[in-house]
Amino acid sequence: MTFHLGYGTNGFANHRLDDALDVIADLGYTSVALTLDHHHLDPFADDLPARVSQVAAKLDRLGLRCVVETGARFLLDPRRKHHPTLVSESQEVRVDFLLRAVRVAAELNADCVSFWSGIKPDDVPAEQAWARMRSGVAAVLEGAEPLGVTLGLEPEPGMFVQHLTQALRLREELGSPPLFGVTLDVGHCVAVEPDDAATCVRRAGSLLVNVQLDDMLPGVHEHLEFGEGDLDLRGTLAALAAVGYVGVAAVELPRHGHAAPDVARRALEALTAAMPDEPAKPRHPWLADAQRAVRRDPAAVGRLFPAVGRRVGRDLARPDDDPRGLVHGGVDDAARAELLGALATVLDDDALSAELLALYRHGDDAERRGVLRGLALVGDRAPAAGLEIVRDALRTNDVRLVAAALGPFAADHLDDHGWRHGVLKCLFTGVPLAAVAGLERRTDDELLRMVADYAAERTAAGRDVPADAARLLGKGE
Amino acid sequence: MRVRIFDPHVHMTSRTTDDYEAMHAAGVRALVEPAFWLGQPRTSVGSFTDYFDALIGWERFRAAQFGIRHHCTIALNPKEANDPRCTAVLDVLPRYLEKDGVVAVGEIGFDSMTPEEDEAFARQLQLAVEHELPALVHTPHRDKAAGTRRTLDLVKESGLPVERVAVDHLNETTVRAVADSGAWMGFSIYPDTKMDEHRMVAILKEYGTARVLVNSAADWGRSDPLKTHKTGLAMLEAGFSESDVDTVLWRNPVEFYGQSGRLLLDDLPGFSAAPDTFSGNSVLRGGGDR
Repeated sequence: MTFHLGYGTNGFANHRLDDALDVIADLGYTSVALTLDHHHLDPFADDLPARVSQVAAKLDRLGLRCVVETGARFLLDPRRKHHPTLVSESQEVRVDFLLRAVRVAAELNADCVSFWSGIKPDDVPAEQAWARMRSGVAAVLEGAEPLGVTLGLEPEPGMFVQHLTQALRLREELGSPPLFGVTLDVGHCVAVEPDDAATCVRRAGSLLVNVQLDDMLPGVHEHLEFGEGDLDLRGTLAALAAVGYVGVAAVELPRHGHAAPDVARRALEALTAAMPDEPAKPRHPWLADAQRAVRRDPAAVGRLFPAVGRRVGRDLARPDDDPRGLVHGGVDDAARAELLGALATVLDDDALSAELLALYRHGDDAERRGVLRGLALVGDRAPAAGLEIVRDALRTNDVRLVAAALGPFAADHLDDHGWRHGVLKCLFTGVPLAAVAGLERRTDDELLRMVADYAAERTAAGRDVPADAARLLGKGE
Repeated sequence: MRVRIFDPHVHMTSRTTDDYEAMHAAGVRALVEPAFWLGQPRTSVGSFTDYFDALIGWERFRAAQFGIRHHCTIALNPKEANDPRCTAVLDVLPRYLEKDGVVAVGEIGFDSMTPEEDEAFARQLQLAVEHELPALVHTPHRDKAAGTRRTLDLVKESGLPVERVAVDHLNETTVRAVADSGAWMGFSIYPDTKMDEHRMVAILKEYGTARVLVNSAADWGRSDPLKTHKTGLAMLEAGFSESDVDTVLWRNPVEFYGQSGRLLLDDLPGFSAAPDTFSGNSVLRGGGDR
């Protein structure tokens, strides 16, 4: 699984929203960052519910995943750009707007609502602005939690929260709510962060809920096309893949609307050339519906989870270089993982743990595989349950379960002894070690000893030593 | 002669990997394993769910290693429906009836025709209605004709469309009633009990090939998982065409279980569906007009 390349509708300000979505999907993007604005799904329009259902149906039809952006310039105040904000006097106007955005996001099945702090007015002391951030975000979270909508705070140059560390600190002070994550604009990292974008991506890690892609020059907050600034695009995208990011990564070029279709085409060419892996495919419409159903009624997952393969298909993700699906799984595995992602937004940690265990215990082989692969996405919220599931899978002799068990969750959580035996089991049963996440990081002397003994046993019996074992031993010497 | 075989009733849990190899060599590419009695009585719901889990997980995986698509049917069987320690399994069935590999409710039906069996049978016909699945019905060894008539009555009462029902283990004395009812007719070809392949051919001559399912019903007892293949041979010897054999041994079971919408019949990775590439020892290959 990997992330979804997308484009921000604020870069299509001279297009009707419907047309913009068509152009973006036709170019080959699989996601969209939708900025609510007076001309793009106006959250204050009288016919909002009907418009939202139309846009939701359109996104589903086009297979576009989305995030909701709230950076419109003159939506709340026709005279003052971006006003009022979370740190200004009339904060409640901004909170009301963000809550509207949350309700829209729930209907659209969006990954998150993204927002920024706003510029601190000169006459407001920093402590007071911080207190306003805390109260404002808490108020929006209260409205978002029942709907299972995730929030992403975006550090914005020149605003009160402009660095990643500030966003992370605010999250911690609010008690690290599961639905409060981070939006990262990789261009901003070049402009104002002390570290490069790849480092910021790694620091945000699993808290990333939305990514904006653009180039920038150090010290200059101007969104540029790729190649015009100092961003290491290849390294940044590789970092996103490495932290296991699977959400929306959308191009953010709000001042290029005059030539949007051409700019968007060029951006996709640059991104495709720099991607470490194939970008994610369009989302199946059934999956979008199923995620909505689970957000509304978590118990629905019991009926939907077994049906995934029948609905979205069972094709292998990478049939050419992974013909048995042991490394990358199938489209059904990925869809089940995403369904669990939606489930995790509406359940607390205990309920999520219980549901993961039930889905695994009562699942057939494909469902069990889906749970195992989904642990990469939601396992951090349910580590004890995740370990129970991984250990059970490693006791089986079904190679697809063994392979799926040794993903990123096991790399981060499984004890050394259990992990080593899992790797050895792969060698015994012909599971390619490419299926083992974090192999390089976790390989230790004891594993190398076990593999060397295994190789000696094979040689003594006059049998071949598997290439993966030889490779591992070669590396250890 | 090329033959592809779908065995609509075979208990692979009780068979060895040699059987899987021989079945693949004989042309078997897909099968259905009905949940049934294991010989040793079960005493708790837990041992049922472990068995069901094997049918939807482990056994499918095992079959796939030999190029065979495995499906199953799930139910509380009539014999164990008489044990109150087992009847609570009826409450966990809905969970299983939503699974990918589950293509029917079965085996249900009668063993000794007790009130308990009546109750479990009727309830499970309702589950087939609710989960939009076909039903596979076992007819009893003892008092078979009466059991078959009672079966057809219960099906009629249930509201399950009769074309979604297969009545299995038929013989010369029970086939007429089922043929007239519109249900599918199942025949288990055994080394010495139930039907043999030559009696089967005689029935096919009399009743035709429509709505007929031929299975090996191979299990832990004396039985032969290649009986489907041998019936195909006997049909050819008796003058049936290859197309007739294909109807009985492939198209009919595909049509019947296909009503579930859950059959998977594409090639397994690394295997070809064309039997001739694997059936160097297939008797049928030599005899036909290839």
